[in-house]
Amino acid sequence: MSDRFETHEHDVLIIGAGGAGLRAAIEALAHGAKVGVVCKSLLGKAHTVMAEGGIAAAMANVDSADGWIPHFRDTMRGGKMLNNWRMAQLHAQESIDRVKELEQWGALFDRTSDGNILQRAFGGHTFKRLCHVGDRTGLEMIRTLQDRGVEMGVDVYMECTITKLLKDGDRIAGAFGYWREQGRFVQFKAKSVIICTGGIGKSWKITSNSWECTGDGMALAYDAGAELLDMEFVQFHPTGMVWPPGVQGILVTEAVRGEGGLLTNKLGERFMQKYDPKKMELSTRDVVARSIYTEVKEGRGSEHGGAFLDISHKPAEYVKQKLPSMYHQFKELADVDITKQPMEVGPTCHYMMGGIRVEAETAQTTVPGLFAAGEAAAGLHGANRLGGNSLSDLVVFGRRAGLAAAEHAKKVSAPNIDASEIERAEREMLAPFDQSAGESPYAVHRDLQDMMQSLVGIFRVEDDLKTALAELDKLKERATKVRVEGSRMFNPGWHLARDLQCMLTVSEAVTRSALARKESRGAHSRIDYPGLDEQWGKQNNITKREGETMMLKQVARPPLPDDLKKILDE
Amino acid sequence: MPEKTVKLKIKRQASPNVEPHWDEFEIPWKSGMNVISAMMDIATNPVTKDGQQTTPIAYDSNCLEEICGSCAMLINGKARMACSALVDRFEQPITVEPLSKFPLVRDLSVDRSVLFENLKAVKAWVPVDGTYDLGSGPRMTPQQQEQNYPLSNCISCTICMEVCPQFNEETNFVGAATISQVALFNDHPTGAVLKEERLHALMGDGGIHECGYAQNCVESCPKEIPLTRSISRVAGQVMVQSIKDIFSS
Repeated sequence: MSDRFETHEHDVLIIGAGGAGLRAAIEALAHGAKVGVVCKSLLGKAHTVMAEGGIAAAMANVDSADGWIPHFRDTMRGGKMLNNWRMAQLHAQESIDRVKELEQWGALFDRTSDGNILQRAFGGHTFKRLCHVGDRTGLEMIRTLQDRGVEMGVDVYMECTITKLLKDGDRIAGAFGYWREQGRFVQFKAKSVIICTGGIGKSWKITSNSWECTGDGMALAYDAGAELLDMEFVQFHPTGMVWPPGVQGILVTEAVRGEGGLLTNKLGERFMQKYDPKKMELSTRDVVARSIYTEVKEGRGSEHGGAFLDISHKPAEYVKQKLPSMYHQFKELADVDITKQPMEVGPTCHYMMGGIRVEAETAQTTVPGLFAAGEAAAGLHGANRLGGNSLSDLVVFGRRAGLAAAEHAKKVSAPNIDASEIERAEREMLAPFDQSAGESPYAVHRDLQDMMQSLVGIFRVEDDLKTALAELDKLKERATKVRVEGSRMFNPGWHLARDLQCMLTVSEAVTRSALARKESRGAHSRIDYPGLDEQWGKQNNITKREGETMMLKQVARPPLPDDLKKILDE
Repeated sequence: MPEKTVKLKIKRQASPNVEPHWDEFEIPWKSGMNVISAMMDIATNPVTKDGQQTTPIAYDSNCLEEICGSCAMLINGKARMACSALVDRFEQPITVEPLSKFPLVRDLSVDRSVLFENLKAVKAWVPVDGTYDLGSGPRMTPQQQEQNYPLSNCISCTICMEVCPQFNEETNFVGAATISQVALFNDHPTGAVLKEERLHALMGDGGIHECGYAQNCVESCPKEIPLTRSISRVAGQVMVQSIKDIFSS
C-alpha cells in the first residue's frame, strides 16, 4: 500500500454530506462503525438545503385515510410503474418513522392545531402528505441531521473531492481524492463505501442544481464496475429562469401562470393561442413545456433561449401579495422586479431519477461493499418523481445504506489497496498540468452544457440524440486535452477538468439510454415516439462499463407480487 | 461604444503565511450580476485589469440562493452574503475581502469551524438515544413552533460573529448564533433536558456576559433572526440558573 499520501482508515466511508450521507453516517455510527464523511463543500451546505416543498410521509395527521398503501400507489403511478416496487414499498412504509425520528431530533415542523406535524397537499399525492418547515424544509433537515451527527462525533472531511474508488479484487477497498484548498492528494481505506453525491444537473446549461451536482458518484460507481439504471429519466421543470446569470436555473412556480402570467415569444405573440387556445397559459405543465420548446426550436425564442413570462400587467401589490417569495428572491438575487418586467423562462434541469442500481433492502450496488443512496441511487422514483418524495428517499435509504454498510464492514477483513491503482489515479489527475497546448476546461464545459440543453433536454428526438452522441465523442476527445494554468492550490480550473470527466460519463449514459427508449414515459418525452410502449414498460435500461466501452442492455422489470399488484389495480 | 464594465478590487492571499495583496479586475457587466457571478466570470478568464494573468479567486459558495450560508465576506467593508450582493447597488470599484475574525485559508476563504466547536460546547442538539424507535416526537403547539421557527432559520454564515465587537481572541465570546441555538434547544420539549448544562457552558469563559449589546448582530443577520431577543432570553435563564446554583450548593 502506498504511503506517500495522507491516509485515513474507516469501516464505512461516505461520499457526500447531504441528507442521505448524514443519515447514513448516523446509522452506521449507531451500529458501532468507524465512519468518515467526505464532502466537496462545507458541512451543512449541501444541495439538500435548497429543498423547499417538504418531505412526503403518510403520517395521516391531516387526512386520516392516508397510509403507506396510498403513498405506495401514488409513487408507482407517478413513476409510470417503472419503479423498483420493493423500494417504493419500503419508502412508503418507513418514511413515517423517519419523519418521527427527525421530529425527535428537534426538526421544527409546522404544526396542526392539536400539536402534530402539519401536512400539505402536493401534486400527485392523493392526500395531504407533505410535512414541512415553512418553505425551507431541506435546511431544517440538514441542520437537524448535522446537529445529531456532531453529537455522535462523526469525522467529516470537508472540501475534499473523491476522484476514484479503489478496489481489492472485486470488492471495494476505499477511495482516492484531493483537498480542494491545497490540492494535496489523500487516500481513504474503507471496508464499505456509500455514495451519496446527489444529482447531475451541471451537465445542462439551465439547472436548479448547485455547483456540486456534477454526477461524481454515478461516474465513480460506473468506473468501478457498478451498473447505472434508467439514466434517461431526468426531471426538468418547464419554467426556470434562463437569464440573468444570478438567478439562472431557479424555478419559477406554476403559480405565476395561475395568477394570470402571460407567455410570449420574441415577436410579442401569446403563442399559447396556437397550442391550447382554450386554456392558454393555464394549460397542463407538459403542454406549456412543449409549446415553449417548439417556439425556441422554430427560432421565436427569447435571446437566451426561452420565452417571456409576464405578470407585470397585474397591480404590483397584488403580485407581491400572491407571490411573495418569488418577488423577493428575484429582486434580491438579481434585481429582477417581476411587478415591472417579464421573466425569461425555459426548461431547467431539476432532478435525476436514474442513477446507480442498488438492491432495495440494503442499498448495495453490484460491487460488493459499495452502496448508494439518495439522488445518486435509482429505482424508487421510476420514470418520474413526485414532489416531496426526494427528502423522504434520503432518510429512508440513507438509513438502510448506513445499516447495511456497517454490517458489511463487520463481516469482511481489511482490504488491501493496490499501489498501481493509486499511481494511475494520481497520473490522471496531474495530466491537465502537463498539456503544453490545449483549451480551457471552461470552454469544453460550456459546450457540453449548451449541447445537452439543446439536444438532450426536456423533449428528445432520434436525430438530436444521435447528433448528441457524436458531439459527446468530440467533447470527450477535447476533455482529454484540456490545459490547466497555475498550481494545485485551490484551482477551480483544475477541479472543473476533473468534474468534466464525470459530467461526460453521465451525459453519455443519459443520451444512450434516451436513444434506446423508443417511447414517452414520465419525464422521458420522445417527440418521435409520443405514446407509452407496452414492451418498454416492462424493462429497465442498464448502463455498464465493458473495458473502455459503455454498454447498454435491457433487463426485465421484476414482476410485482400479487398483494402489491392488487393495490395498484384498485 | 465601450461596453459597460464592473470594477472589483479583491484581497488575495495565497496562504496564511504570506502577505495579502489586492488584485483589480474590470469585467463585462451583465444584468442582475452579483459578486459571486462576477467571480465566476473572473475564474473563466483570470486576468487582472492591467492584463496580468492570475489565478481564479478562492471562496466558499454553494446554493447561490442565500440559504446555505457559505459565501459570507466583506463587500465594500460590510459583512454580507456575496450571492445576493448585486453589483449595481455598490460603489465601484467594489472591494471584496475575507471575513476578518476567522483564520484565513486562502483569498476569501476562511475557517469558520469555531462555530461548530461553540455549538458542541453548548450541546446544541436534542439528546436522544438513536438506536431504537421512539415513535412520534413531543407535541408542540403551532404558537410554540412559530416562536422558535425564526431561530431555526440560522444558516451558520457567522456574519453575526464577524460584526460583533466582543467576538475576539481576548473575550473568547461564543457569539450570537450559538446563544440563539441555546434559546432554540432550551425551549424544545426534549432538548430542555440539557438546559442546565447549556446555561453552565454560557457562564464560563467567553459566555453570555461578554455580550456588550452593540446590536450589530441583529442588524446584519441575512435571515433577520431576532438575535438580541434570544440573547436577552438566555441571559435571563442564566441569571435564574446562577441563583439556583447558589441555593443548591
